[in-house]
This record gives sequence, C-alpha cells and structure tokens, in this order.
Amino acid sequence: MNTTGKNAFINQLFVYVLVGVCLSGSAGLGAVWLRHQISITANHTRRLEVRLAEAERRLAEVTTYVAAEQSPDALERRNREMQLGLVMPREPQVVRVAESPERRLAAKRNADLFADESVATPVRFTLTGGARQRQ
Amino acid sequence: MTQRGFASNYRIVLVAGALFASLGCVALRLADLHVFSRDYYVSQIERARYRIDVETARRGDILASNGDDILATSRSLIQLGVDPQSLREEDRAKWPELARLVNIPLAQLTAVFETKTRPVADENAGDSGRLIRWAKLSDSVEESVYAEILKLGVKGVYGNRTYTRAYPHNSLASHVIGFVNKEGQPSGGVEAFADFYLRGRDGWRESEKDGLRRELAQFRTREVPAADGYSVVLSIDSVIQHMVDEELAAIAQKFKPQKATIIVSDPHTGFILALGNYPTFDLNAFSTTPIAHQRNIAAADLYEPGSTFKIVPAAMALNEGLVAPGTRLPCNQETVAYNGRELRLMRDDHASPIPLTVAQIISHSSNNGAARLAMLAGDRKLYDYARAFGFGEQTGFPLGYEGSGLFNPVNKWSGIDITRIPAGYSIAATPLQIHYAMATIANDGVLMRPQVIREVRDTSGETVFQFGPATRRAVVSPETARVMARMLEGVVTEGTGKVTNIPNFEVAGKTGTAQKLIDGRYSNRNHVGSFVGFFPATNPRAVISVIVDDGRPPSGGNAYGSVVAAPSFKRIAEQLIQYLDIKPAASSASGGLLAMQGGRQ
Repeated sequence: MNTTGKNAFINQLFVYVLVGVCLSGSAGLGAVWLRHQISITANHTRRLEVRLAEAERRLAEVTTYVAAEQSPDALERRNREMQLGLVMPREPQVVRVAESPERRLAAKRNADLFADESVATPVRFTLTGGARQRQ
Repeated sequence: MTQRGFASNYRIVLVAGALFASLGCVALRLADLHVFSRDYYVSQIERARYRIDVETARRGDILASNGDDILATSRSLIQLGVDPQSLREEDRAKWPELARLVNIPLAQLTAVFETKTRPVADENAGDSGRLIRWAKLSDSVEESVYAEILKLGVKGVYGNRTYTRAYPHNSLASHVIGFVNKEGQPSGGVEAFADFYLRGRDGWRESEKDGLRRELAQFRTREVPAADGYSVVLSIDSVIQHMVDEELAAIAQKFKPQKATIIVSDPHTGFILALGNYPTFDLNAFSTTPIAHQRNIAAADLYEPGSTFKIVPAAMALNEGLVAPGTRLPCNQETVAYNGRELRLMRDDHASPIPLTVAQIISHSSNNGAARLAMLAGDRKLYDYARAFGFGEQTGFPLGYEGSGLFNPVNKWSGIDITRIPAGYSIAATPLQIHYAMATIANDGVLMRPQVIREVRDTSGETVFQFGPATRRAVVSPETARVMARMLEGVVTEGTGKVTNIPNFEVAGKTGTAQKLIDGRYSNRNHVGSFVGFFPATNPRAVISVIVDDGRPPSGGNAYGSVVAAPSFKRIAEQLIQYLDIKPAASSASGGLLAMQGGRQ
C-alpha cells in the first residue's frame, strides 16, 4: 500500500475508517452480548425467585396441615381411631414422691457399687524412699 | 505512471462520500430518535412496557403460649376456573380426573365446561348470547392439588392465586383470635388488635414487560422487598383452651343454655390462659356463622353477678376492720332499719334461725347477711369498693368490644339498692369483670388488667416486644385477701359449692345464681348460674369462671350455679392439676415428682 504518495492520506483514512467500523461493530456486538448475558442472568434469577416463592407457598400449606393435625381435636380423633385409649391422668392415679428421684434411681442402679464401699479395699502406694507401705 | 490501483481519486471520493452520507443519515436518524423525538418515543415505550409488581407481604402467624402451636397462619389458595372457549375435545378424557381433584361431581364440571355462552338481556345480541371466557370451578384449591391439575394439562383450565388466612384449630379460641375477612380486613380479636404487628408491609418492583406480558427481568429498575408481618404469641394455652371448649360443649349438650362462658387466667399476671364462649363459631367458616355467635360474650355481655358479688361487701367489711371472719350477724330478719328507713331484705333460701358468722354468710351465700355487711360500711363505701374491684368500668381487655357494666353512682340508687347490690342484683357486669374481681382475692388484693398477648416476634423468631403483667390497683390488703380466700374455701368444704371440692387442693370459690329479668320481672325459672373460684387457696395457680346463662337442668330443677356451673369448674380444675403440675397443698410431697400409675383408660 502506498504510504508516501499523494493519496497516502486517503488510503490511510480508508483503512482507519474500516478498522474503526470493525472496532465499533465489535464493541456493539460485545454490548449486545453483555446485555444478553444480563438478560439470561436476570431471567434465571427470576425463575429462582418464582421457585422460591412456590416452595414457600408449599411450605405454608404443609405448615398449616401439620398445625391442623397437631390440634387437640385432631389428636383426640386419632386417639379414638387408633383405639389408643389415652386420657389425661387423674389425681388418684398419681403417686407423689417426696425424695429426690435422681438420688433414688442412682442408688438403685448402683446398688452393687455402693455395697462394695463398706468392704475395705487394699490400696498400695510407694513412699519416696522406695519403702512400700500397705494400708 | 504511478500505480493507484483501486484507490483512484474518483472512486475513493465516491466510496468515502457514500460512507459518510450513510453515516450521516444514521447519525441524523439517531439524533432524531434520541434527541428531537425522544420524549415522544420514551413515553410510548414506557406506556407499553412499564410494569409494576406488588409483592404481597405475608401476614404474621398467631401462636399459642408455647410459641409453637399455630392458631392462625397465612397460605395461598387457588381460585380455579375455566375458559370454555379454549377447551379441546381431546382433553375430555381427563375431565373425570379433574372433577376428582377439584372435588366436584363430574356432571357439575361437565355442565360448566359445556356452557359456552350466557344469555344477555340485549335482544340485538341474538340467540348466541355472550361468550363465557371464565367460569369458576372452585374457590379454594390447594397448591399441591393445583400442581396436579396443571400436570393434567387440560387447556383452558387455570387459576388465580389468592392469599387467605387459615385457622388450623378451627373454632379453638375463636372469640380471642378473631378473623380476617375475604377483603383482607381483620375483624375482631387479636387479628384486629395486633393488625399493626401482623400485617407487614407490601413490597413492589418496577420493570418492563414483553409483548406477552412477561416480565423482562433485565429491565428491573427499582425494587422494594416486602417485609413480612411479625408473629404474635398469645397467653392462650391451646390445651387449656381445648379443655374449656370441651366443657362448654358438654354444658351446651346437657343444659341447653342460651349462652355460656368459661375463663381461665393466671391470678398473678392477669394473663388469660383460656377464654371460651357458647355459642362459638368456626374461624374458617366465619361467613356462614350468625353475627351473634361471633360476639365475645365474656367481654361484651352483661349479667347480674348474683352471689359471686358477695365477695365485695365481705372483703370491704373485713378490710375496713368492721368485722372479723367470726363476727356473727343476724340473718333471718325480713326488714332492717337503715338511715332512718325500714328496708325489706332479700329472702334467703335457707334462712338461719341463729346469727351467722361472716364466714358462714359467705359459705351459705346469705343475701340477708351480705346486705348487713354492706350496711355496716354504708352506700358510699360499698360503691367505692365495688368500683375498686372493677365493676362499672372496663377491665382494659385489649381485644375491644368490651362492656363497662351497669353500676349507678350512689346518688342514683333507689332506697333498697343497699340490700340488693350486695347480693349481686341492681348491678350488671361482664363475665370478665366478675372473673377479675375474684382474681383480685387470689392475687393478694391486687386487681390486674386482662392480658392476651405475651410477645411479638419478628420473622426470624426474635422477640421484639414483650407484654408484662399490668397492675390496675390494690383493692384490699393482702391480709384481707388471704382471709377472704380461706372463707371462700369454706364455700367449697361446707357451703354451696361442695361439688367443686378436690381434696388437698384448697379450692376456693363462690357460687352465683341470679334470676333473669324477663319482661321487666325477675323470673323464677330463668337463671344465670355461675361458679367463680381459684385454687389452691394458699398459692393460687389458676382462676376459673364458669357462667351459664339460662341453663335447663335435665332434672327440671332450677339452674343454680352449683348445678350448671360448679361441676364444670371441678372438671377443668382436675385437668389443670395434672397439666400445670399443681401440687396438693396439704400433702407432704413438697417438691416431689409425679409418678403416674398409668395413663390408659
């Protein structure tokens, strides 16, 4: 390409214009691609929001159903249907214990251990001087 | 000769000229679009594509006292309909399944589907009528069912989502909870009172839409997220409320009363643990319930309290030091001189020939004795004490629709009112007023304000506001209250309320039987029977009021409080002993544990 002649400026201008057009076109295409990506992401977000809202609606429905099934009326109905015969305890059925239940249960469970306590268990230990003492 | 190639002068000028001319045209068009005609096009676009979506805030839940039991919640339902014009013949095979899902008969569904037009009044419209574009199939299709309907793929069947209030426990505590009507407006109860906390704040979003009205999410500009409503935790215990509702149902079945009310509260805090009325209504079917059934009788209706009012003259006389529990007063006279006038006293059913002690006046419910106690202190004192106990003024019940009662000032009393008011006549009070007057005795003489809401929680479950006990005033001294509690125990052990006695649990209370005013005359056949009490007397854990309006005992006798109300008090108290783990006062098993011998029938 002639770069020094009379029409060099025209040639260069022509090239620059073409390059400029290519760059502008690329930038435009880039912008369009970017907008498209934004669109895809936004729509994806929207779909997720819709799914989330749907899940929340289903959750609310299940929560309502569970609450209804836990109502005293429903539990009594189940009690009857399943013939469980469960009723509120009445005072004559209740035995009130004054002592600590923890201590009582512990004593019962560890009766053998507590029984051994009364037997003298030999313990050996060594004094500093190497002499052995028996208790 | 210099080789110029393609770039000869005229070609270059031609190409360059064409290029610049094209660019110039584009530039001019752009300038026109973006500068000169900008406003016009922008307004056109905005009008066509602008979209604003409202994001509905979820209304908060109403929870029972344990914070888990949901008494009211929000959920979405689908209003399902069909566009008969869009139906396809090949979908006809799916109609039976659709009818099953919608829970309507196939014939009904078919009739809706095959009705394509509706007749119009206009004669010019011809025989064809107006095309139906939407016909309702169901008002309340659940989300899961709607998902199955969509899976069926019947063209033309679609739904519109609506958010509604659901009450999983149906009629439980209905008068306390209230409801939200179909317009979304709260009506009565906690729903109305705590609407500020419950309703939340709707959000909104600005964006654009395409030709099919779908949102173009990439053009979202402004977005304000919805703030869901707070949850409200009540003092109502669903288990105790259930006991109360069952008892009311039993009263209704056995005595066929006009109305009945049961209130259970904590005497020390004033928190209501259960409040039930008969007749009641299902919160999920409020629209089909008579308005009269929706009234909170406990707060709105007025009754003459009858003998339950006798705690007022007795506490007054004790507190003023005019009498002691053992002071004897004559209770068998027909007339008495008072302020220079001879007044006729109310007749006692079982008049005692010998003077009764103050404790006996209460335990035997002597009208004669109550009048004498009142006369010892005088009109003004009786009025002041009754007002101090809360009669004649609203209790401060937070849910509204509360009556003040009817209690005239002294200057409007008739000559015999000093003999009638101490027995609970010539005065009208709401069940709540009667209940909290008794609770004052249980709470060392301090009158509390009724409370229903314990706390408010945000969406993450954190407590944002807590309601504490609210004291109204000290009415009598703690010593007087303790003496009164002991005397009220006497009502149960040897007086008119023996039927409520639970050994070792120190039940204290007062029966009440008031004749009803029918056509301006006190009727001998229509009564308001009541029992109001608390237990254990030395360390009260619960105050219970049972009021039965115009009950009809199967035996045909009068509807005395000891007949229609006291047995219910006892049954509720027995259940509360187990549920609240109330220890027997006279037992040596202080701080003991419960060992049940069996919980089966």
